[in-house]
Amino acid sequence: MTANRFNGPLEQVGECSWRIPKSYKDGMRVDGLIYANEALMEIIRNDQAPEQVANVAFLPGIQQASLAMPDIHWGYGFCIGGVCATDPADGGVISPGGVGYDINCGVRLVRSNLFESDVRPQLDRLINQLFRDIPTGVGRGGKYTFDHKELRALMASGPRGLIPRGLATERDIKFTEAHGRIEDAQPVFVSPRALDRGRDQCGTLGSGNHFLEVQLVERIADEEAAKAMGLAEGMVCVMIHSGSRGLGYQVCDDALHSLRGVPAKYGIELPDRQLVCAPIDSDEGQHYLGAMRAAANYAWCNRQLLMWQTREVFARIFNRDWEDLDMQLVYDVAHNIAKFEEHQIDGQRKRVWVHRKGATRAFPPEHPETPQEYAHVGQPVLIPGDMGRASWVLAGQPGSMEKTFGSACHGAGRLMSRKAASRHAQGRQIRDELAKRGIVARSQSRRGLDEEQSDAYKDVDVVVDVVHRAGLAKKVARLRPIGVIKG
Amino acid sequence: MFETFDHTADIGIRIEADSLAALLEEAGQALFSLIISDLGQVRDREEIRLRIDGTEPDYLLFDWLNELLYLFESKRLLASRFEVSIDEGGISGLVGGEPWDRQRHELDYEVKAITYHGLTVEQVGGRWRGKVIVDI
Repeated sequence: MTANRFNGPLEQVGECSWRIPKSYKDGMRVDGLIYANEALMEIIRNDQAPEQVANVAFLPGIQQASLAMPDIHWGYGFCIGGVCATDPADGGVISPGGVGYDINCGVRLVRSNLFESDVRPQLDRLINQLFRDIPTGVGRGGKYTFDHKELRALMASGPRGLIPRGLATERDIKFTEAHGRIEDAQPVFVSPRALDRGRDQCGTLGSGNHFLEVQLVERIADEEAAKAMGLAEGMVCVMIHSGSRGLGYQVCDDALHSLRGVPAKYGIELPDRQLVCAPIDSDEGQHYLGAMRAAANYAWCNRQLLMWQTREVFARIFNRDWEDLDMQLVYDVAHNIAKFEEHQIDGQRKRVWVHRKGATRAFPPEHPETPQEYAHVGQPVLIPGDMGRASWVLAGQPGSMEKTFGSACHGAGRLMSRKAASRHAQGRQIRDELAKRGIVARSQSRRGLDEEQSDAYKDVDVVVDVVHRAGLAKKVARLRPIGVIKG
Repeated sequence: MFETFDHTADIGIRIEADSLAALLEEAGQALFSLIISDLGQVRDREEIRLRIDGTEPDYLLFDWLNELLYLFESKRLLASRFEVSIDEGGISGLVGGEPWDRQRHELDYEVKAITYHGLTVEQVGGRWRGKVIVDI
């Protein structure tokens, strides 16, 4: 399986959109549509990600188009950066591959009333303490351990269940997507294996591309939206990227296993086994949905506990309560998830299952699910870039509802494979290179930093620019990292 | 023998052996050589028996690796010795290793899951070849 260049049709249909017509492959039910500019498209063509966009168009009940965001890259089954909506009333299916192994992987942004001059003298101490206190990397359990019964309760409640333990506040819940709780979660469908894996991992970062960064608001692009989100130029923020850890991976794995014979049972033909799916209304589909929702709620608890530990470290280093440091949650949003949402499709209001696999929800102003404080500007869309350059805060725009089922990109998107990035780092010291740019980096392994170096990613500014121009989400603030911890 | 290959955000394993049993044994080595930096540091102090039912070689490879990953995830067991025998209904595996010791074992990749993407096991000219991508 080498990354052959995609040779299928890609027709430019707008300044930032490219179509793979459904005539490309027998079995495609809708077109594929990729959001990118010409330069990004050149990169995207270099592997089989567009083929995966075409393959997703085979899914029964898919609406409008199989979509991909500008950070699209080759995944397994679904591409990373893909969005598809399926209609239960039209024989629609749910596909665990369209959510991913890391169910409700997502991003949380915390602001503060600190500025660079407050933090810079303490930066080494701060990052070292974060790295000591917040579990990162393989095999690290956290300081919170839950038994099976407690885990099931948490998966039903989401982070609200952490309030009585003094680990969350009402305000935290308010600024978390879906208030950190998807209804109808079925923790009883989460296997003992998944519970074992999740027992001591709630409040741990994990490895791979997961990170915790201390960032500065470098530039405000939209004053009104930034003000609503409490962001100001020079302000110190913390961005956290993690998901449902081993529990979520196991839920996905269990589902892929139990769905092995299901497409054949329902007469569904698929071009790739990793696209395995079940009709939404089937027992198999409902079983996965119940477990997936439970794992999603667990992931929100994980990011809540990661944030809580971050607040504790800041309080210790700066010798002030986190409330006094105004370390409030700006927002928490998922980018690996399937949600049952209402959308306008072919002139009709329909409720569809929107699969976002490496895509961020980007609801426009006045959407009922956006917190009231942000209603006039749009839902915050948090886009981590890479650890050497930048990340972005965007706000959802009306174009997202018309074009992408309320979705935008989820990051910069990988440019190099992990192995290629490691080769590219040979003879270099990524940690020292970052230090020269004023960024303190701590990682469990040298390889962790090598694989996640800036060069391994597309330029997030370019990716975000496409999202902005396409009217999916508007630029609000560019954040620059000054400290990073990784697995 | 096994080798790893590139897959954008993940890592692939390509395995070749004389028999399906040997292929599965090699695959076990390959998986744990991703999980731990130096598999040579793992002592053979504990033995675990695994049983996997099934007849399709690709699913056997998948399920076998999945069980091994779960051994690490749930029991923190690092495995370095693999013995597989095949019968009509599936495979029996004997796995030797020891629990992860933070002082002696440096862990490498966090393997999230084994994937079905591009999963193949085939017999070509008397040799068995397998391919699997793991999610990192």
